[in-house]
Amino acid sequence: MSPGPMQILDRSADALAGRIAPQLRTPHLAGTANLIALLMKFSAREMERGAEIRHAENIGMRALFAELAHIVRDGDLRRRLGAAAAEDDASVVLSELDRTNADLKRLLIELHIQVEEAGDRKAERRILKFLSWMASQRAVSIF
Amino acid sequence: MSETIAAALEAYLRKRLFARDLQVCGLERIHGGASRETYRFLARYGEGERQVERKLILRRDPPASLIETDRAREFRAYEAFHALGLPVPEPVLLEPDGGALERPFFIMSEIEDAAAASVLAPDPYGPQRDAIGLQFWSVLGRIARADPIALDLGDFDGSTERDACWRNELARWERVIDADEDEPQPIVRAAIRWLKRRPPAPAQKISLVHGDYRSGNFLWSADGGIRAILDWEMAHLGDPLEDLGWALDPLWAHHDPSRPGGMLPRAEAIAIWERESGLIADSDALRWWEIFASVKGAAIWISAAHEFATGRNDDPVNAFSGWYCLAFHNKLLADRLEALA
Repeated sequence: MSPGPMQILDRSADALAGRIAPQLRTPHLAGTANLIALLMKFSAREMERGAEIRHAENIGMRALFAELAHIVRDGDLRRRLGAAAAEDDASVVLSELDRTNADLKRLLIELHIQVEEAGDRKAERRILKFLSWMASQRAVSIF
Repeated sequence: MSETIAAALEAYLRKRLFARDLQVCGLERIHGGASRETYRFLARYGEGERQVERKLILRRDPPASLIETDRAREFRAYEAFHALGLPVPEPVLLEPDGGALERPFFIMSEIEDAAAASVLAPDPYGPQRDAIGLQFWSVLGRIARADPIALDLGDFDGSTERDACWRNELARWERVIDADEDEPQPIVRAAIRWLKRRPPAPAQKISLVHGDYRSGNFLWSADGGIRAILDWEMAHLGDPLEDLGWALDPLWAHHDPSRPGGMLPRAEAIAIWERESGLIADSDALRWWEIFASVKGAAIWISAAHEFATGRNDDPVNAFSGWYCLAFHNKLLADRLEALA
């Protein structure tokens, strides 16, 4: 079986940190190599879960828009929230998911502002809970 | 590359130190943050009958800096607090125009046999934890207590009006986010709105705010405790609670949030700061400055991510900051906002 890209990144990071970094001429170069190895580890994990995380966030934001659009007084924003809620991710390519994710986050910010201005505490708590969940999804562990 | 810098540095120091025989030996780049290139070297020269050997540090602006900072102000902060007797490296020479080395730089004394803790290291201070903590929070209190006018630092950037500190600093970092944000940041934006809706009480006094006072930004040794507070490049005038909030941030806690900076328990740390500064760490105001600290951190990480993504500065520390540190502060901010709702 050929090694997969995650395995290649992970094992190469181990080799960089464990075998190559200690051979480097200066502590600065060794430290830089170790940091690159850590970034390779992060990237390996992101390769495994990156699409899933973005897709789940996009689903969550659309559900939030469907649930809370009625609070919004601004007709144009309400229409855009409704349209976004009805869409689905057309591609699972990471860059495409990122582009959609960014569009949805812009809408989420607009929605959040409207909810705050309307003084709807329940809806605000719902958004904050979602933001906390989203941040948990994106949290990075160094261990 | 090092050879070119060494030769240029040697020529410069021969003129500035009036030492025609001066030699720069062992020039080596070391870690010193993303906003300055940092090198250590030995300057060897004759002074009358005497042979002098000075271990020095060169701090040079990088081609593109993470956060634009004024090295002249950083140098003056070193001068002022070194003269006040705080553990700060002795500043030696400043070249704000940077002709000799193409970019602005300054030179200061090297602190020998001391190291900075890695932010990622668990329990970096070991058995020295409590002693280092006492010193760390005491020094911060002394910085807060100092009068910037008396230190001739009254012309620094920042706020001279006690009720404007929070507004100016928040606006400053919001501008950084506006300029460098490559993707929308719903958590950071929500936190900024929260901070604007609930301003803190005016500062008790105007202090010189270090701007990046934290674990990892000082040199220490097992036998000498804290030997040097570093990285004054973001120093400005403002509310001393800003530094306290930043130093308490869990990102610098070495994975133990109950001990800010990986040193003393939180309540003890704050009590030491209050005693040394003569100020009160009002819990509402401090909470504001702690949330602000995470927003400021996020702004720096967003900027780092932008520098890396655009290729202006490919130092991997920028990729790490824009990924790990930003995710950390997003989680912290989201949890705090949810708890406060």
